[in-house]
Amino acid sequence: MIGALARPRVSRVEAATQPVISMVDVGMTYPNGKVALADVNVTIPAGDFVFLVGPSGAGKSTFIRLLIREQLPTSGRVVVAGRDIARLRRRDVPKLRRRIGIVFQDFRLLPAKTVFENVAFALEVTGAGGGEVRRRVPQLLSLVGLQEHADHLPTQLSGGEQQRVAIARALVHDPAMLIADEPTGNLDPVTSWEIIQLLIQINGMGTTVLMATHNQEIVNAMRRRVLALEHGRLVRDEAGAAYEREY
Amino acid sequence: MRFIRFIGFAVVRAWQGFWRNAMMSVAATATVVLMLVLLSGLFIVIAGLNSGLEFIESKVGVTARLEDGTSNAEVSALISYVEGLPGVASVDYVGPEEAMERLRQAYRERGEQLEFGGADITLYASIEIALVEPEAGPAVADALMDRDEVREITTKQSAYEALIGVINVIRTVGIIALALVGLTVLFMIVNTIRIAVYSRANEIEIMRLVGASDSFIRWPFILEGILCGLIGAVVTIVLVAVVWDPIQPIMVRVFQMPTTVSAQFLATLSAVILGAGLGVSALGSWISVRSNLSSTT
Repeated sequence: MIGALARPRVSRVEAATQPVISMVDVGMTYPNGKVALADVNVTIPAGDFVFLVGPSGAGKSTFIRLLIREQLPTSGRVVVAGRDIARLRRRDVPKLRRRIGIVFQDFRLLPAKTVFENVAFALEVTGAGGGEVRRRVPQLLSLVGLQEHADHLPTQLSGGEQQRVAIARALVHDPAMLIADEPTGNLDPVTSWEIIQLLIQINGMGTTVLMATHNQEIVNAMRRRVLALEHGRLVRDEAGAAYEREY
Repeated sequence: MRFIRFIGFAVVRAWQGFWRNAMMSVAATATVVLMLVLLSGLFIVIAGLNSGLEFIESKVGVTARLEDGTSNAEVSALISYVEGLPGVASVDYVGPEEAMERLRQAYRERGEQLEFGGADITLYASIEIALVEPEAGPAVADALMDRDEVREITTKQSAYEALIGVINVIRTVGIIALALVGLTVLFMIVNTIRIAVYSRANEIEIMRLVGASDSFIRWPFILEGILCGLIGAVVTIVLVAVVWDPIQPIMVRVFQMPTTVSAQFLATLSAVILGAGLGVSALGSWISVRSNLSSTT
Protein backbone atom coordinates (compact mmCIF):
# COMPACT_ATOMS: atom_id res chain seq x y z
CA MET A 1 0.00 0.00 0.00
CA ILE A 2 2.74 2.39 0.97
CA GLY A 3 4.69 1.43 -2.14
CA ALA A 4 1.66 2.07 -4.32
CA LEU A 5 1.27 5.57 -2.88
CA ALA A 6 4.94 6.36 -3.04
CA ARG A 7 5.58 5.32 -6.62
CA PRO A 8 3.42 7.86 -8.44
CA ARG A 9 4.73 10.65 -6.19
CA VAL A 10 8.34 9.93 -7.09
CA SER A 11 7.61 9.54 -10.78
CA ARG A 12 5.72 12.85 -10.88
CA VAL A 13 8.65 14.66 -9.32
CA GLU A 14 11.07 13.05 -11.76
CA ALA A 15 8.94 13.84 -14.78
CA ALA A 16 8.14 17.42 -13.91
CA THR A 17 11.45 18.63 -12.63
CA GLN A 18 15.03 18.75 -13.63
CA PRO A 19 17.18 18.92 -10.49
CA VAL A 20 18.15 22.44 -9.46
CA ILE A 21 21.38 21.13 -8.02
CA SER A 22 23.30 18.05 -9.02
CA MET A 23 26.69 17.21 -7.55
CA VAL A 24 28.50 14.13 -8.82
CA ASP A 25 31.65 12.89 -7.05
CA VAL A 26 32.50 16.44 -6.09
CA GLY A 27 35.77 17.11 -4.36
CA MET A 28 37.33 20.37 -3.35
CA THR A 29 40.90 20.57 -2.13
CA TYR A 30 42.37 23.98 -1.42
CA PRO A 31 45.85 24.85 -2.69
CA ASN A 32 47.20 24.46 0.86
CA GLY A 33 46.13 20.81 0.74
CA LYS A 34 43.09 21.15 2.99
CA VAL A 35 40.29 18.90 1.80
CA ALA A 36 37.04 20.89 2.07
CA LEU A 37 34.78 18.42 0.26
CA ALA A 38 35.26 14.82 -0.87
CA ASP A 39 33.07 12.44 -2.89
CA VAL A 40 29.91 14.47 -2.49
CA ASN A 41 26.92 13.19 -4.46
CA VAL A 42 23.72 15.19 -4.08
CA THR A 43 20.66 15.84 -6.22
CA ILE A 44 18.18 18.48 -5.16
CA PRO A 45 15.00 18.59 -7.23
CA ALA A 46 13.15 21.80 -7.92
CA GLY A 47 10.79 22.80 -5.14
CA ASP A 48 12.72 20.99 -2.39
CA PHE A 49 13.40 22.47 1.06
CA VAL A 50 16.77 21.23 2.30
CA PHE A 51 18.77 21.85 5.45
CA LEU A 52 22.54 21.70 5.23
CA VAL A 53 23.98 20.89 8.64
CA GLY A 54 27.32 20.04 10.14
CA PRO A 55 29.90 21.42 12.55
CA SER A 56 31.94 24.50 11.64
CA GLY A 57 34.62 23.61 9.12
CA ALA A 58 32.65 20.62 7.83
CA GLY A 59 32.46 22.09 4.33
CA LYS A 60 29.10 23.90 4.34
CA SER A 61 30.61 27.19 3.13
CA THR A 62 32.55 25.47 0.36
CA PHE A 63 29.37 23.64 -0.65
CA ILE A 64 27.60 27.00 -1.03
CA ARG A 65 30.55 28.68 -2.74
CA LEU A 66 30.49 25.98 -5.39
CA LEU A 67 26.80 26.52 -6.01
CA ILE A 68 27.25 30.24 -6.68
CA ARG A 69 30.45 29.51 -8.57
CA GLU A 70 32.69 31.48 -6.29
CA GLN A 71 34.84 28.41 -6.52
CA LEU A 72 35.25 25.52 -8.89
CA PRO A 73 35.49 21.91 -7.70
CA THR A 74 38.88 20.26 -8.01
CA SER A 75 37.11 17.05 -9.02
CA GLY A 76 33.63 15.96 -10.00
CA ARG A 77 30.80 17.86 -11.57
CA VAL A 78 28.50 20.55 -10.18
CA VAL A 79 25.38 21.36 -12.19
CA VAL A 80 23.25 24.29 -11.03
CA ALA A 81 19.99 25.21 -12.77
CA GLY A 82 21.01 23.07 -15.71
CA ARG A 83 24.47 24.59 -16.10
CA ASP A 84 27.76 22.81 -15.40
CA ILE A 85 29.57 25.51 -13.42
CA ALA A 86 33.01 24.39 -14.60
CA ARG A 87 32.03 24.81 -18.24
CA LEU A 88 30.34 28.16 -17.76
CA ARG A 89 31.89 31.00 -19.72
CA ARG A 90 32.98 33.90 -17.57
CA ARG A 91 30.37 36.24 -18.97
CA ASP A 92 27.64 33.71 -18.18
CA VAL A 93 28.50 33.54 -14.48
CA PRO A 94 26.36 36.60 -13.62
CA LYS A 95 23.41 34.99 -15.42
CA LEU A 96 23.80 31.88 -13.26
CA ARG A 97 23.90 34.03 -10.13
CA ARG A 98 20.61 35.65 -11.08
CA ARG A 99 19.09 32.15 -10.96
CA ILE A 100 20.25 31.81 -7.33
CA GLY A 101 19.29 34.14 -4.50
CA ILE A 102 21.49 34.14 -1.42
CA VAL A 103 21.17 35.54 2.09
CA PHE A 104 23.71 35.53 4.89
CA GLN A 105 23.81 35.61 8.66
CA ASP A 106 25.07 39.22 8.58
CA PHE A 107 22.40 40.42 6.09
CA ARG A 108 24.94 42.38 3.97
CA LEU A 109 22.72 45.38 3.32
CA LEU A 110 24.12 48.71 2.17
CA PRO A 111 23.81 50.97 5.21
CA ALA A 112 23.53 54.23 3.26
CA LYS A 113 20.64 53.01 1.13
CA THR A 114 17.01 52.74 2.18
CA VAL A 115 15.14 49.45 2.24
CA PHE A 116 13.66 50.23 -1.19
CA GLU A 117 17.06 51.22 -2.60
CA ASN A 118 18.74 48.10 -1.24
CA VAL A 119 16.30 45.90 -3.11
CA ALA A 120 16.28 48.15 -6.18
CA PHE A 121 20.08 48.08 -6.28
CA ALA A 122 20.06 44.38 -7.15
CA LEU A 123 17.86 45.16 -10.14
CA GLU A 124 19.73 48.27 -11.26
CA VAL A 125 23.13 46.60 -11.32
CA THR A 126 21.80 44.02 -13.72
CA GLY A 127 20.49 46.66 -16.11
CA ALA A 128 16.83 46.76 -15.11
CA GLY A 129 14.90 49.90 -16.01
CA GLY A 130 13.03 52.27 -13.73
CA GLY A 131 9.66 50.76 -14.64
CA GLU A 132 10.72 47.29 -13.62
CA VAL A 133 12.22 48.63 -10.37
CA ARG A 134 9.03 50.50 -9.47
CA ARG A 135 6.92 47.43 -10.23
CA ARG A 136 9.08 44.71 -8.71
CA VAL A 137 10.44 46.25 -5.49
CA PRO A 138 7.05 46.97 -3.87
CA GLN A 139 5.91 43.43 -4.76
CA LEU A 140 8.87 41.94 -2.93
CA LEU A 141 8.63 44.30 0.04
CA SER A 142 5.02 43.31 0.34
CA LEU A 143 5.95 39.61 0.19
CA VAL A 144 8.36 40.02 3.11
CA GLY A 145 5.96 42.35 4.94
CA LEU A 146 8.05 45.49 4.83
CA GLN A 147 6.12 47.74 2.46
CA GLU A 148 5.66 50.24 5.29
CA HIS A 149 9.41 50.42 5.85
CA ALA A 150 10.47 51.17 2.27
CA ASP A 151 12.00 54.53 3.19
CA HIS A 152 13.82 53.35 6.31
CA LEU A 153 17.54 52.80 6.53
CA PRO A 154 18.75 49.35 7.61
CA THR A 155 19.97 50.81 10.92
CA GLN A 156 16.37 51.77 11.74
CA LEU A 157 15.25 48.15 11.42
CA SER A 158 15.43 45.13 13.74
CA GLY A 159 17.64 42.19 12.82
CA GLY A 160 14.68 40.17 11.60
CA GLU A 161 13.50 43.03 9.43
CA GLN A 162 16.97 43.45 7.97
CA GLN A 163 17.03 39.75 7.09
CA ARG A 164 13.66 40.20 5.38
CA VAL A 165 15.13 42.98 3.26
CA ALA A 166 18.01 40.67 2.36
CA ILE A 167 15.51 37.95 1.39
CA ALA A 168 13.53 40.41 -0.76
CA ARG A 169 16.77 41.40 -2.48
CA ALA A 170 17.71 37.75 -3.02
CA LEU A 171 14.36 37.10 -4.72
CA VAL A 172 14.50 40.10 -7.00
CA HIS A 173 15.46 38.11 -10.10
CA ASP A 174 12.89 35.43 -9.34
CA PRO A 175 15.56 32.77 -8.77
CA ALA A 176 15.09 29.03 -9.08
CA MET A 177 16.78 28.57 -5.73
CA LEU A 178 17.26 30.53 -2.53
CA ILE A 179 20.37 29.75 -0.50
CA ALA A 180 20.23 30.87 3.10
CA ASP A 181 23.58 30.66 4.88
CA GLU A 182 22.83 30.68 8.63
CA PRO A 183 19.97 33.14 8.13
CA THR A 184 18.90 32.96 11.77
CA GLY A 185 22.38 33.00 13.26
CA ASN A 186 22.05 36.58 14.51
CA LEU A 187 18.38 36.43 15.47
CA ASP A 188 16.44 35.61 18.62
CA PRO A 189 14.26 32.45 18.59
CA VAL A 190 10.96 34.20 17.89
CA THR A 191 12.40 36.22 15.01
CA SER A 192 14.15 33.11 13.73
CA TRP A 193 10.83 31.37 13.43
CA GLU A 194 9.37 34.30 11.56
CA ILE A 195 12.19 34.05 9.03
CA ILE A 196 11.63 30.30 8.70
CA GLN A 197 7.93 30.91 8.09
CA LEU A 198 8.88 33.31 5.34
CA LEU A 199 11.26 30.76 3.78
CA ILE A 200 8.50 28.13 3.90
CA GLN A 201 6.15 30.57 2.20
CA ILE A 202 8.74 31.24 -0.52
CA ASN A 203 9.32 27.51 -0.93
CA GLY A 204 5.56 27.06 -1.24
CA MET A 205 5.64 29.40 -4.23
CA GLY A 206 7.98 26.98 -6.00
CA THR A 207 11.43 28.28 -5.11
CA THR A 208 13.88 25.63 -3.99
CA VAL A 209 15.35 26.52 -0.59
CA LEU A 210 18.70 25.38 0.76
CA MET A 211 19.39 26.52 4.30
CA ALA A 212 22.70 25.99 6.05
CA THR A 213 22.18 26.13 9.78
CA HIS A 214 23.34 25.18 13.25
CA ASN A 215 19.88 25.66 14.68
CA GLN A 216 18.86 22.21 15.91
CA GLU A 217 15.49 23.30 17.19
CA ILE A 218 14.39 24.52 13.77
CA VAL A 219 15.70 21.50 11.87
CA ASN A 220 14.11 19.08 14.34
CA ALA A 221 10.77 20.85 14.24
CA MET A 222 10.60 21.18 10.47
CA ARG A 223 11.32 17.55 9.56
CA ARG A 224 12.59 18.32 6.08
CA ARG A 225 15.39 16.80 4.04
CA VAL A 226 18.73 17.09 5.83
CA LEU A 227 22.19 16.98 4.28
CA ALA A 228 24.84 16.48 6.94
CA LEU A 229 28.49 17.22 6.22
CA GLU A 230 31.42 16.11 8.37
CA HIS A 231 35.04 16.63 7.44
CA GLY A 232 34.00 17.43 3.89
CA ARG A 233 32.00 14.24 3.41
CA LEU A 234 28.28 13.92 3.06
CA VAL A 235 27.54 11.60 5.98
CA ARG A 236 23.75 11.76 5.83
CA ASP A 237 21.13 12.63 3.20
CA GLU A 238 17.78 11.93 4.76
CA ALA A 239 14.23 13.11 4.10
CA GLY A 240 12.03 14.22 7.01
CA ALA A 241 15.01 14.11 9.30
CA ALA A 242 16.28 15.70 12.48
CA TYR A 243 19.49 17.64 13.12
CA GLU A 244 21.27 14.65 14.66
CA ARG A 245 21.22 11.07 13.41
CA GLU A 246 18.30 9.33 15.11
CA TYR A 247 19.24 5.70 14.52
CA MET B 1 17.89 50.85 -24.40
CA ARG B 2 19.74 48.45 -22.14
CA PHE B 3 23.03 49.98 -23.24
CA ILE B 4 21.79 53.49 -22.55
CA ARG B 5 20.70 52.38 -19.08
CA PHE B 6 24.14 50.87 -18.55
CA ILE B 7 25.84 54.13 -19.56
CA GLY B 8 23.48 56.08 -17.33
CA PHE B 9 24.13 53.75 -14.41
CA ALA B 10 27.91 53.85 -14.86
CA VAL B 11 28.07 57.64 -15.23
CA VAL B 12 25.86 58.30 -12.20
CA ARG B 13 27.83 55.85 -10.08
CA ALA B 14 31.13 57.35 -11.25
CA TRP B 15 29.92 60.83 -10.35
CA GLN B 16 28.74 59.69 -6.90
CA GLY B 17 32.01 57.85 -6.38
CA PHE B 18 34.04 60.92 -7.33
CA TRP B 19 32.37 63.03 -4.64
CA ARG B 20 32.14 60.30 -2.03
CA ASN B 21 35.92 60.10 -2.19
CA ALA B 22 36.24 63.87 -2.72
CA MET B 23 39.63 64.53 -1.10
CA MET B 24 41.39 61.89 -3.11
CA SER B 25 39.53 62.72 -6.32
CA VAL B 26 40.35 66.40 -6.08
CA ALA B 27 44.00 65.64 -5.35
CA ALA B 28 44.17 63.36 -8.38
CA THR B 29 42.46 66.00 -10.50
CA ALA B 30 44.94 68.61 -9.29
CA THR B 31 47.85 66.45 -10.42
CA VAL B 32 46.13 66.05 -13.77
CA VAL B 33 45.92 69.85 -14.03
CA LEU B 34 49.58 70.15 -13.08
CA MET B 35 50.55 67.68 -15.77
CA LEU B 36 48.39 69.33 -18.40
CA VAL B 37 49.62 72.84 -17.56
CA LEU B 38 53.17 71.59 -17.96
CA LEU B 39 52.21 69.91 -21.20
CA SER B 40 50.56 73.09 -22.46
CA GLY B 41 53.57 75.21 -21.55
CA LEU B 42 55.88 72.83 -23.32
CA PHE B 43 53.55 72.65 -26.30
CA ILE B 44 53.38 76.46 -26.57
CA VAL B 45 57.14 76.96 -26.24
CA ILE B 46 57.99 74.20 -28.70
CA ALA B 47 55.35 75.41 -31.16
CA GLY B 48 56.77 78.93 -30.91
CA LEU B 49 60.34 77.77 -31.40
CA ASN B 50 59.30 75.50 -34.26
CA SER B 51 57.61 78.43 -35.97
CA GLY B 52 60.77 80.43 -35.49
CA LEU B 53 62.78 77.56 -36.88
CA GLU B 54 60.55 77.24 -39.92
CA PHE B 55 60.87 80.94 -40.52
CA ILE B 56 64.63 80.77 -40.34
CA GLU B 57 64.69 77.61 -42.43
CA SER B 58 62.87 79.49 -45.15
CA LYS B 59 65.53 82.19 -44.96
CA VAL B 60 68.50 79.94 -44.60
CA GLY B 61 70.27 79.71 -47.79
CA VAL B 62 73.60 80.95 -49.02
CA THR B 63 74.02 84.40 -50.46
CA ALA B 64 77.16 85.07 -52.48
CA ARG B 65 77.99 88.65 -53.38
CA LEU B 66 79.78 88.89 -56.66
CA GLU B 67 82.83 90.94 -57.56
CA ASP B 68 82.22 94.07 -59.58
CA GLY B 69 82.64 93.50 -63.28
CA THR B 70 81.66 89.90 -63.33
CA SER B 71 80.38 89.33 -66.85
CA ASN B 72 77.06 87.83 -67.71
CA ALA B 73 78.79 84.77 -69.09
CA GLU B 74 80.71 84.29 -65.88
CA VAL B 75 77.52 84.68 -63.85
CA SER B 76 75.78 82.06 -66.01
CA ALA B 77 78.70 79.71 -65.60
CA LEU B 78 78.70 80.24 -61.83
CA ILE B 79 74.97 79.61 -61.62
CA SER B 80 75.31 76.37 -63.60
CA TYR B 81 78.14 75.32 -61.32
CA VAL B 82 76.14 76.03 -58.16
CA GLU B 83 73.05 74.32 -59.50
CA GLY B 84 75.15 71.20 -59.88
CA LEU B 85 76.14 71.16 -56.20
CA PRO B 86 74.38 68.64 -53.91
CA GLY B 87 71.61 70.04 -51.72
CA VAL B 88 70.89 73.09 -53.87
CA ALA B 89 67.22 73.73 -54.63
CA SER B 90 67.42 76.80 -56.81
CA VAL B 91 69.67 79.71 -57.64
CA ASP B 92 68.52 83.30 -58.26
CA TYR B 93 70.55 86.14 -59.64
CA VAL B 94 69.96 89.50 -58.00
CA GLY B 95 71.39 92.32 -60.04
CA PRO B 96 72.54 95.66 -58.59
CA GLU B 97 69.27 97.39 -59.49
CA GLU B 98 67.17 94.76 -57.81
CA ALA B 99 69.39 94.83 -54.75
CA MET B 100 68.88 98.58 -54.53
CA GLU B 101 65.14 98.22 -54.93
CA ARG B 102 65.04 95.68 -52.07
CA LEU B 103 66.98 98.03 -49.83
CA ARG B 104 64.57 100.87 -50.62
CA GLN B 105 61.66 98.54 -49.89
CA ALA B 106 63.14 97.55 -46.55
CA TYR B 107 63.49 101.23 -45.59
CA ARG B 108 59.96 102.00 -46.71
CA GLU B 109 58.62 99.19 -44.51
CA ARG B 110 60.26 100.87 -41.55
CA GLY B 111 58.74 104.19 -42.63
CA GLU B 112 62.02 105.74 -43.67
CA GLN B 113 63.43 107.03 -46.92
CA LEU B 114 66.67 105.72 -48.30
CA GLU B 115 69.01 108.68 -48.85
CA PHE B 116 72.59 108.66 -50.08
CA GLY B 117 73.03 112.44 -50.01
CA GLY B 118 73.40 112.61 -53.78
CA ALA B 119 76.19 110.01 -54.00
CA ASP B 120 75.97 107.51 -56.84
CA ILE B 121 75.95 104.18 -55.11
CA THR B 122 75.86 100.83 -56.84
CA LEU B 123 75.24 97.68 -54.83
CA TYR B 124 76.95 94.39 -55.48
CA ALA B 125 75.14 91.83 -57.55
CA SER B 126 74.64 88.54 -55.83
CA ILE B 127 73.31 85.05 -56.28
CA GLU B 128 70.86 83.68 -53.71
CA ILE B 129 70.98 79.97 -53.29
CA ALA B 130 67.97 78.14 -51.78
CA LEU B 131 68.78 74.82 -50.21
CA VAL B 132 66.87 71.57 -50.09
CA GLU B 133 68.02 71.06 -46.50
CA PRO B 134 69.54 73.76 -44.31
CA GLU B 135 72.29 71.26 -43.41
CA ALA B 136 73.70 71.50 -46.95
CA GLY B 137 74.69 75.15 -46.31
CA PRO B 138 78.31 74.73 -45.16
CA ALA B 139 79.27 72.51 -48.13
CA VAL B 140 77.79 74.95 -50.63
CA ALA B 141 79.53 77.86 -48.91
CA ASP B 142 82.86 76.00 -49.02
CA ALA B 143 82.47 75.27 -52.72
CA LEU B 144 81.81 78.95 -53.43
CA MET B 145 84.72 80.14 -51.33
CA ASP B 146 87.25 79.15 -54.00
CA ARG B 147 85.52 80.93 -56.87
CA ASP B 148 87.09 84.17 -58.04
CA GLU B 149 83.76 85.74 -58.94
CA VAL B 150 82.61 85.51 -55.35
CA ARG B 151 83.45 88.40 -53.10
CA GLU B 152 81.68 87.47 -49.88
CA ILE B 153 79.45 84.69 -48.58
CA THR B 154 76.74 85.01 -45.94
CA THR B 155 74.62 82.32 -44.43
CA LYS B 156 72.16 82.16 -41.47
CA GLN B 157 73.54 78.76 -40.63
CA SER B 158 74.77 79.63 -37.15
CA ALA B 159 71.43 81.13 -36.05
CA TYR B 160 69.65 78.07 -37.36
CA GLU B 161 71.95 75.66 -35.59
CA ALA B 162 71.73 77.60 -32.33
CA LEU B 163 67.95 77.49 -32.46
CA ILE B 164 67.88 73.78 -33.21
CA GLY B 165 70.14 73.24 -30.21
CA VAL B 166 67.82 75.26 -27.95
CA ILE B 167 64.75 73.44 -29.21
CA ASN B 168 66.33 70.05 -28.70
CA VAL B 169 67.32 70.87 -25.13
CA ILE B 170 63.90 72.26 -24.27
CA ARG B 171 62.16 69.35 -25.93
CA THR B 172 64.28 66.76 -24.12
CA VAL B 173 64.01 68.39 -20.70
CA GLY B 174 60.30 69.01 -21.26
CA ILE B 175 59.56 65.46 -22.28
CA ILE B 176 61.48 64.05 -19.30
CA ALA B 177 59.65 66.38 -16.91
CA LEU B 178 56.36 65.52 -18.58
CA ALA B 179 57.02 61.80 -18.34
CA LEU B 180 57.80 62.12 -14.61
CA VAL B 181 54.67 64.16 -13.97
CA GLY B 182 52.69 61.76 -16.16
CA LEU B 183 53.86 58.84 -14.03
CA THR B 184 52.85 60.73 -10.89
CA VAL B 185 49.42 61.32 -12.36
CA LEU B 186 49.11 57.67 -13.29
CA PHE B 187 50.08 56.70 -9.76
CA MET B 188 47.56 59.14 -8.26
CA ILE B 189 44.74 57.85 -10.46
CA VAL B 190 45.62 54.21 -9.77
CA ASN B 191 45.56 54.96 -6.03
CA THR B 192 42.37 57.00 -6.13
CA ILE B 193 40.56 54.18 -7.87
CA ARG B 194 42.12 51.60 -5.60
CA ILE B 195 40.77 53.45 -2.57
CA ALA B 196 37.39 53.78 -4.29
CA VAL B 197 37.32 50.03 -4.95
CA TYR B 198 38.25 49.19 -1.35
CA SER B 199 35.78 51.64 0.12
CA ARG B 200 33.03 50.00 -1.88
CA ALA B 201 34.05 46.40 -1.34
CA ASN B 202 30.64 45.60 0.21
CA GLU B 203 28.78 46.98 -2.74
CA ILE B 204 30.99 45.11 -5.17
CA GLU B 205 30.41 41.86 -3.31
CA ILE B 206 26.65 42.39 -3.36
CA MET B 207 26.78 43.25 -7.05
CA ARG B 208 28.56 39.99 -7.76
CA LEU B 209 26.14 37.96 -5.67
CA VAL B 210 23.05 39.38 -7.33
CA GLY B 211 24.50 38.71 -10.76
CA ALA B 212 25.82 42.05 -11.95
CA SER B 213 28.01 41.61 -15.01
CA ASP B 214 31.68 42.57 -14.96
CA SER B 215 31.02 45.69 -17.01
CA PHE B 216 28.48 46.97 -14.47
CA ILE B 217 31.03 46.41 -11.72
CA ARG B 218 34.08 47.81 -13.48
CA TRP B 219 33.00 50.68 -15.68
CA PRO B 220 31.84 53.00 -12.89
CA PHE B 221 35.38 52.87 -11.48
CA ILE B 222 37.02 53.38 -14.85
CA LEU B 223 34.72 56.33 -15.52
CA GLU B 224 35.48 57.73 -12.06
CA GLY B 225 39.16 57.86 -13.00
CA ILE B 226 38.37 59.31 -16.41
CA LEU B 227 36.29 61.95 -14.64
CA CYS B 228 39.47 63.15 -12.85
CA GLY B 229 41.11 63.46 -16.26
CA LEU B 230 38.13 65.19 -17.83
CA ILE B 231 37.71 67.75 -15.05
CA GLY B 232 41.48 68.33 -15.03
CA ALA B 233 41.47 68.86 -18.80
CA VAL B 234 38.56 71.32 -18.70
CA VAL B 235 40.22 73.33 -15.91
CA THR B 236 43.49 73.42 -17.86
CA ILE B 237 41.78 74.47 -21.10
CA VAL B 238 40.13 77.36 -19.28
CA LEU B 239 43.49 78.39 -17.78
CA VAL B 240 45.24 78.20 -21.15
CA ALA B 241 42.44 80.12 -22.89
CA VAL B 242 42.87 82.91 -20.34
CA VAL B 243 46.63 83.23 -20.82
CA TRP B 244 46.52 82.66 -24.58
CA ASP B 245 45.29 86.24 -25.27
CA PRO B 246 48.55 87.90 -24.20
CA ILE B 247 50.66 85.04 -25.63
CA GLN B 248 49.21 85.00 -29.13
CA PRO B 249 50.71 88.35 -30.33
CA ILE B 250 54.10 87.27 -28.97
CA MET B 251 53.90 84.06 -30.95
CA VAL B 252 53.12 85.99 -34.12
CA ARG B 253 55.65 88.79 -33.69
CA VAL B 254 58.56 87.17 -31.92
CA PHE B 255 58.32 83.60 -33.09
CA GLN B 256 56.95 84.45 -36.54
CA MET B 257 54.07 82.02 -36.09
CA PRO B 258 51.86 82.33 -39.17
CA THR B 259 48.51 83.93 -38.21
CA THR B 260 46.60 81.03 -39.78
CA VAL B 261 48.37 78.67 -37.38
CA SER B 262 47.96 80.93 -34.35
CA ALA B 263 44.21 81.28 -34.97
CA GLN B 264 43.73 77.52 -34.70
CA PHE B 265 46.38 77.01 -32.07
CA LEU B 266 44.07 77.15 -29.06
CA ALA B 267 41.74 74.57 -30.61
CA THR B 268 44.66 72.27 -31.38
CA LEU B 269 46.11 72.69 -27.90
CA SER B 270 42.70 72.06 -26.30
CA ALA B 271 42.40 68.81 -28.23
CA VAL B 272 45.89 67.79 -27.07
CA ILE B 273 45.04 68.66 -23.44
CA LEU B 274 41.76 66.75 -23.57
CA GLY B 275 43.38 63.75 -25.23
CA ALA B 276 46.27 63.62 -22.75
CA GLY B 277 43.98 64.11 -19.72
CA LEU B 278 41.53 61.44 -20.79
CA GLY B 279 44.26 59.10 -22.00
CA VAL B 280 46.35 59.10 -18.84
CA SER B 281 43.35 58.91 -16.51
CA ALA B 282 41.73 56.10 -18.50
CA LEU B 283 44.99 54.16 -18.46
CA GLY B 284 45.41 54.71 -14.71
CA SER B 285 41.90 53.65 -13.78
CA TRP B 286 42.04 50.69 -16.13
CA ILE B 287 45.27 49.50 -14.54
CA SER B 288 43.77 49.95 -11.09
CA VAL B 289 40.56 48.12 -11.90
CA ARG B 290 42.52 45.32 -13.54
CA SER B 291 44.72 44.83 -10.50
CA ASN B 292 42.22 45.54 -7.71
CA LEU B 293 39.02 44.01 -9.00
CA SER B 294 39.53 40.33 -9.55
CA SER B 295 37.44 38.59 -12.14
CA THR B 296 34.17 36.80 -11.50
CA THR B 297 35.12 33.67 -9.63
